[in-house]
Amino acid sequence: MTKMSKIVRTIASIAFPFAMIYGLYVIAHGHLTPGGGFQGGAIAASACAMILVAFGSKWTLDKIKEKRLSVFESLGGIGFIAIALLGLVFGAAFFNNFLTGSNFLFGTIPATGSGLADINTGGVLPLMNFAVGLKVIVGLFVIVLVMAYAATSFKEDKK
Amino acid sequence: MTFLELLHIIIPILIVAASVVAVLLKDLLAAVIAVAAMSLLLSLEFFILQAPDVAIAQAGVGACLTTAIFIIAIRATKRMEGEV
Amino acid sequence: MSTRNIAAVIVFSIVAVFFIFTALLMHPFGVPDESDMDDYIIDNTQEETGANNGVTAVVFDYRGFDTLGEATVLFTAVAGVIMIFRRLKND
Repeated sequence: MTKMSKIVRTIASIAFPFAMIYGLYVIAHGHLTPGGGFQGGAIAASACAMILVAFGSKWTLDKIKEKRLSVFESLGGIGFIAIALLGLVFGAAFFNNFLTGSNFLFGTIPATGSGLADINTGGVLPLMNFAVGLKVIVGLFVIVLVMAYAATSFKEDKK
Repeated sequence: MTFLELLHIIIPILIVAASVVAVLLKDLLAAVIAVAAMSLLLSLEFFILQAPDVAIAQAGVGACLTTAIFIIAIRATKRMEGEV
Repeated sequence: MSTRNIAAVIVFSIVAVFFIFTALLMHPFGVPDESDMDDYIIDNTQEETGANNGVTAVVFDYRGFDTLGEATVLFTAVAGVIMIFRRLKND
């Protein structure tokens, strides 16, 4: 896919950091505010897809390494299952929340009822949010990237 | 009738109208924009039904990623729909 | 009107009648029939998981296996897309 006009490219460059930071914010605050790993990952992946549509697939493929994408996706999936298995080791069951109330990372228990939120709560939920968020960002972006690149090469073959 | 009940009536009508416009348009790029508008209105409806998680997922996947995939597919083919 | 159009009208009418009856039989908004599970999760989420967002607590803690299946579905989708389009590129 070729790149679009200069107006589209400039606006995409300006809007990309804001969309990316909003997606990462939704992932990081998944245990406090609405949203979570999947929703924040979808927002961040749409920011990447906007860059892809504006600049074209050839430019985007020059800027990134495919090996790194596969490493990140595998890291997300393995991290998710590893945290679940750690629940089997330290706690009682698969997907056990073993960090809650342990005074370690994310171990504080908040006061019951509505009130000011503390980010140091939630047990394993923030870690699982990070893992699933990484997996969703890379997974959805790889789908769009591969389809764009295949569309380009398919069109060149037809000519 | 409160303002929220009025919104519950107006937004589904707009969703159906956007879908009909998407079916009727001959320009495929404009039809994709109509589908994206329908998706965004659906996300607004989810939000006023007090489901913000679903609204964020719908806005991210339905209004952005699906539109990007459709635009990629249209740029690989012809933009205007011909006579069948 | 051809036979095909008449069949389409009949099928559409049956589906529309089902949808309208379902809409009429819906219980009022925010009042579930069986509220035991909802009440338990709303009351105990903050003490048991330590998260303020109940939806994330349900998705990642109470119903973790669902999220595992969702991650598997996403992985399968990515693998399928790459498989199909790599073959298209080589041909």
